[in-house]
Amino acid sequence: MSTLHSQTGFALQLTDVTKSFGEISVMKGVNLAIKAGERHAVIGPNGAGKSTLFNLISGMFPVTSGDIALNGRSIVGLPPYQINRSGLARSFQITNIFPRLSVFENLRIGVLARHNVRFGLFQPVSRMRRINDEARAILAEVGLDARAADMAGDLTYSEQRALEIGMTLTTGADVILLDEPTAGMSREETAQAVELIRSVTEGKTLLMVEHDMSVVFSLCDRVSVLVYGNILATDTPKAISENREVQEAYLGEETAS
Amino acid sequence: MASMRNLILMAAVLAVLLIVPPFLGLGWQNALVNILIASLFALAFNLLSGQAGLLSFGHAAYFGMGAFATLHLMLAVEDGLGFPTPLLPLAGALAGLVVGLVAGYFSTMRSGVYFALVTLAFAELFHSLTPHLQGLFGGESGISSMRMPWQGIIFGSVLEVYYLTLGWVMLSILVLWAYTRTPFGRLTLAIRDNEQRVRFLGYNAHTAKMVIFAISAMFTGVAGALQAISNETANYALFGSQISAQVVLQTFVGGATIFFGPVVGAVSFTLFAYLVSDLTRSWLFYQGLIFVLVMLYAPAGIGGVVQHHMRSLRRADWTGLAKPYALAALGALLVGSAVIYLTETVAVLFGEEYSVNLRNAAGAYPGYHLFGLSWSPVSPLTWLVPLVLAGVGAVLLFKVRGTIAAKWEAMGRPETESTKAPDAAKLKGGAA
Ligand SMILES: Nc1ncnc2c1ncn2[C@@H]1O[C@H](COP(=O)(O)OP(=O)(O)OP(=O)(O)O)[C@@H](O)[C@H]1O
Ligand SMILES: [Mg+2]
Repeated sequence: MSTLHSQTGFALQLTDVTKSFGEISVMKGVNLAIKAGERHAVIGPNGAGKSTLFNLISGMFPVTSGDIALNGRSIVGLPPYQINRSGLARSFQITNIFPRLSVFENLRIGVLARHNVRFGLFQPVSRMRRINDEARAILAEVGLDARAADMAGDLTYSEQRALEIGMTLTTGADVILLDEPTAGMSREETAQAVELIRSVTEGKTLLMVEHDMSVVFSLCDRVSVLVYGNILATDTPKAISENREVQEAYLGEETAS
Repeated sequence: MASMRNLILMAAVLAVLLIVPPFLGLGWQNALVNILIASLFALAFNLLSGQAGLLSFGHAAYFGMGAFATLHLMLAVEDGLGFPTPLLPLAGALAGLVVGLVAGYFSTMRSGVYFALVTLAFAELFHSLTPHLQGLFGGESGISSMRMPWQGIIFGSVLEVYYLTLGWVMLSILVLWAYTRTPFGRLTLAIRDNEQRVRFLGYNAHTAKMVIFAISAMFTGVAGALQAISNETANYALFGSQISAQVVLQTFVGGATIFFGPVVGAVSFTLFAYLVSDLTRSWLFYQGLIFVLVMLYAPAGIGGVVQHHMRSLRRADWTGLAKPYALAALGALLVGSAVIYLTETVAVLFGEEYSVNLRNAAGAYPGYHLFGLSWSPVSPLTWLVPLVLAGVGAVLLFKVRGTIAAKWEAMGRPETESTKAPDAAKLKGGAA
């Protein structure tokens, strides 16, 4: 299924990762191993450090200590663009697109990077057939065909979320990190988003932050519970929802509903 | 189609620029050379400031470097180096590129205000250092050289310089325009929109910004070179903050979000300086006033206003707009004449000549002459008339502004936005 070649079999492996912002310790020794090809959710209360975890993995912040390995190779200390080129792409909790570029262009930027024409100065981009075709294919995949020429900033919220997912696909990474892709969506939009995520991460490794347990149940193979900088448990969604400790620490009534 | 119309328009402008100058006087030929140079300078500056969103307050640095490098090459040609005169701007391009790479490397480590401050610091550094570097920059008086003949062309007349300038400016504009169509040109816009996201898509944003900076500095260097060729001299004042500020003003008045906006601004300001600086000493004040007004009421610049109207040429309800537009023009005329009258009056009353008259008049306030009429500073009419004019004009403008906005609102938004991908519009049709 997956085309990953790693000695460990893990797409992503975090070992004793800590992170402090000044005095405040936000990550307190996280150990996490994401298998190649699995879909893995991170859940946890607000402020637990889920987004910080993503920021550490994607190179946005340096870790205070510990190691992060992508496909068996340490990526600690690498800048975000090199981590991306090593095969990891992420989306953001707060929509992070190019608001004044067209939707198509938002996607093409990443496709250009994937094909190593980042600094292309000697050919008009409109003549690059393969790149335009590929961007168009992703456009279709995320269902934004009709919006191709519109400015990304003019899209509706859920369309922007779809674009955000599309952008994470453009660089061809096989490890995809999605930070609350369905947050703020209606039930219907959420169902669509789940189908979208399922199809686009086929054959890839997915790590996602998700609050909605029904999404986790329908999409993910395993779940990790992050509570104030510690991983409380990692297991199947079913086992996690039945875990007494997790229920006490976080899920509470949510599992009942 | 809009692009066809643009092509015809550009061909027409080029034809005028090619055919008309021989029939103009020396003053106008010189003014045109300056307009062309200012246009290229503003376009090169806007590659960085408008397209990449990196506002530089120190572009005089690369303009000056281009000029000095070219003068040194000209001196070498005087001494017998066989370098063709028409290719002299290459020296400016190279100097701009090299200095731009170094300055760009450091300044693009930061963004926003800090970026602007570092660029300002670089220009100030050159400005304070160069007068002491006698050998390279000729001290305070600068260096001079002469254009040498090449292949039978003497390059002695302003007209010859004009055509050389025109050629280089048109070539540069063409290249700068083609740049916007390349992958790197599109990346430039993406960096302006959201630099952080670009990093997570596999781009080294710092390197990209440095290269954009260097390209902008390179074309700025060409503009500086053309000025050196035209003036045959340059001194350290070229690194001064006025030059850096001027290009910012021109670009934003013209419209930083539109490719040709900076040209509009450069042409307007250079023409304004040429025509108005002889008429009044307050012309810099008027220029500043225009800048403030444009920023407040037309932040997309003159180019933005023009583009908005061009795009709506067919849709807009022109008959409905004609009356409010005429009223707005009347209001602007009233306010404008009142402001000009008051400015000139203040300039006279607080001027040196009047203070002498005042002393001689021993206590009384003598009259003064302005616009061919005599005025008395103590007559209420002298002040009341302009104030009433300004008041009526302001009320008129205020009222009609709402009407105009409502009319445009009713017509809906123009079909395309300036930032749209040029080929994305095609895509819509192509995908169907
Ligand atoms: N750059 C930063 N500087 C200082 N503190 C930070 C920074 N980023 C995050 N934090 C702190 O780290 C903690 C974890 O934040 P984080 O955003 O990772 O939580 P989260 O689990 O994603 O929460 P949410 O569910 O609300 O998105 C919070 O207390 C936050 O204030
Ligand atoms: Mg978060």
